[in-house]
Amino acid sequence: MRCRLNWLNWLSAAVLMLCCAFAAVPVRAVTLVDIYGPGQNMVNMALASPLTGPGKAATGLGRELGAAMEGNLGFLPFMRLTPPAAVLGGTVLDAWQGAGVDFKRFQIAGADLLLTAYWPGGDGRGGEVEIRLFETFSGKPVFSGVYKGVTGTSVPATADRICADIMESLTGSGDFFRSTLAFVKTAGSKKRDVWLVSPTGKGLHQITNISGTALSPSWSPDGRYVVFSHMDDSSHALGVWDRSRNRVQRIRFPGNTVIGPVFMPDNKVAVALSTNGYPNIFLLDHKFQRERVLEQSPGIDVSPSFDATGTKMAFTSSRMGGPQIFIKDFSTGQVRRVSMNGGYNTEPALSPDGTLVAFTRLTPQGHRIFVQDLVTGIERQVSFGPGRDEQPSFAPDSYFIAFASNRSGQHRIYLTTRHGGEPRMVPTGGGAATFPRWGKIPEEK
Amino acid sequence: MKSLKTLGLVMVMALALGLGAGCSKKTEMQTSTSTEDPAAALNAAVQTITDGIVYFDYDKYDVKSEYTGMLQQKAELMKAYPDIRVRIEGNCDERGTQEYNLALGERRARAVYDYMVMLGVNPDQLEMISYGKERPAVSGDSEEAWALNRRDNFNVIAR
Repeated sequence: MRCRLNWLNWLSAAVLMLCCAFAAVPVRAVTLVDIYGPGQNMVNMALASPLTGPGKAATGLGRELGAAMEGNLGFLPFMRLTPPAAVLGGTVLDAWQGAGVDFKRFQIAGADLLLTAYWPGGDGRGGEVEIRLFETFSGKPVFSGVYKGVTGTSVPATADRICADIMESLTGSGDFFRSTLAFVKTAGSKKRDVWLVSPTGKGLHQITNISGTALSPSWSPDGRYVVFSHMDDSSHALGVWDRSRNRVQRIRFPGNTVIGPVFMPDNKVAVALSTNGYPNIFLLDHKFQRERVLEQSPGIDVSPSFDATGTKMAFTSSRMGGPQIFIKDFSTGQVRRVSMNGGYNTEPALSPDGTLVAFTRLTPQGHRIFVQDLVTGIERQVSFGPGRDEQPSFAPDSYFIAFASNRSGQHRIYLTTRHGGEPRMVPTGGGAATFPRWGKIPEEK
Repeated sequence: MKSLKTLGLVMVMALALGLGAGCSKKTEMQTSTSTEDPAAALNAAVQTITDGIVYFDYDKYDVKSEYTGMLQQKAELMKAYPDIRVRIEGNCDERGTQEYNLALGERRARAVYDYMVMLGVNPDQLEMISYGKERPAVSGDSEEAWALNRRDNFNVIAR
């Protein structure tokens, strides 16, 4: 029996490796969880203990990997993790593949999905990890993947890759776990720097350290640059951090005003400058030099935000009195006001798919985040304080929204979704954290 | 004692400004101060330029009429002392959001900058910056505190 099991294991592993080559792939390209529709469904997932062999729960690295995956999946608002104590007979299985898995115990525990992990070197040697996701009621595989060369230091990154692939197989997008947030951290009364962190709190590190105040970071689509506005005692400047050289430069502009730079999909930058006498939105070329005006009025035009095609730009304008949200469609040249409620609406963030705009509204209770459907005009409040909720930013998947809030006293970064729901704090260490902005660093070859 | 002297000089200059107009005003003021200690007169001019703060209404950047006299006085002093350079610093209260407030602070600084230039101040003597809501004058969560933070400061950066 043991020999047969081993033989079957080897055969299935070989087939799996042939199918997957070097990358993890979903077994089925079917979206099981609709995270974009109005009635977001919940899914219950159980995690089997990572195994080093049949009935042998991994210790050491394998346990670390299991904990990292559990921590990651806990960030997904549409996922409820089944407590191990709820599984009769426990989560250590005799097999990690469909045929030998006892799905019954997970069905009884209410799990819709079961995640198994097989890592022969999970006790310390490292090496190749096999991941499988099943529907518990049918036993059908939803996803399988092989992750090679996993070592102790690469456990967190591997957990991110696994969870990205799982999320993609369930929802169609796994960009959440592939993203890196740029944000601003306070280091003193006049000193703020740009830092990076994953949405789940990994890889926290500082990328700028210049005297003065950094604000409004923005990633280039290729992940090479972060631009930001920088202010010292005498001047504003465009700050540019080059990841390939780990170097920062300050670029000044006539008018001495640089507000809210943002990268466009073609790697050019849009930014509010007062070169013409008013803060208006300019396009900069690939060398960060002024190319042309994108939008201007005799009032204030700031905070541009683009969809993934670059044809729509949301921005804040005071052209009709108080600050309101407008959209410019570059294919027609038309500008329309989209925020119709409230007297103070600012900080628009257009979803990459171009269907929604999130923004900050000053309500009698303080600043709150709202999301408006650009097709129907229907508006939804997605944050409820207390304190100030501000600076929303859409993730590449157009589902998650990061924002800053001082609900716990000091400003921190939180995650919610286009549907709202209980915000989850992103661990960023000490110091006030503001201006979260999503980006993707290309994986090392 | 020194402050009394400074106050006296300021009063002399203010009187001089009030008495005449145009070139005659400038000549008269220079004459009146040249008889005193020139360094003290310069100090007094710098103090006068620095001390007067322009305040704004919520989400507004128009210069209110109550500040035109003060700005005329600053302008005359800057014309009398062409080596003086001033940075006009626009500020906002904490209620708004940061990027919009940076733009609003810029409009406040520019409104005063344009007025000073209209009064004849050499633009080379002026620069401006917006600090948005990043550098409040007073802390607090009240209308009084907010009103004190919606302001233009005048920072003499060369003399």
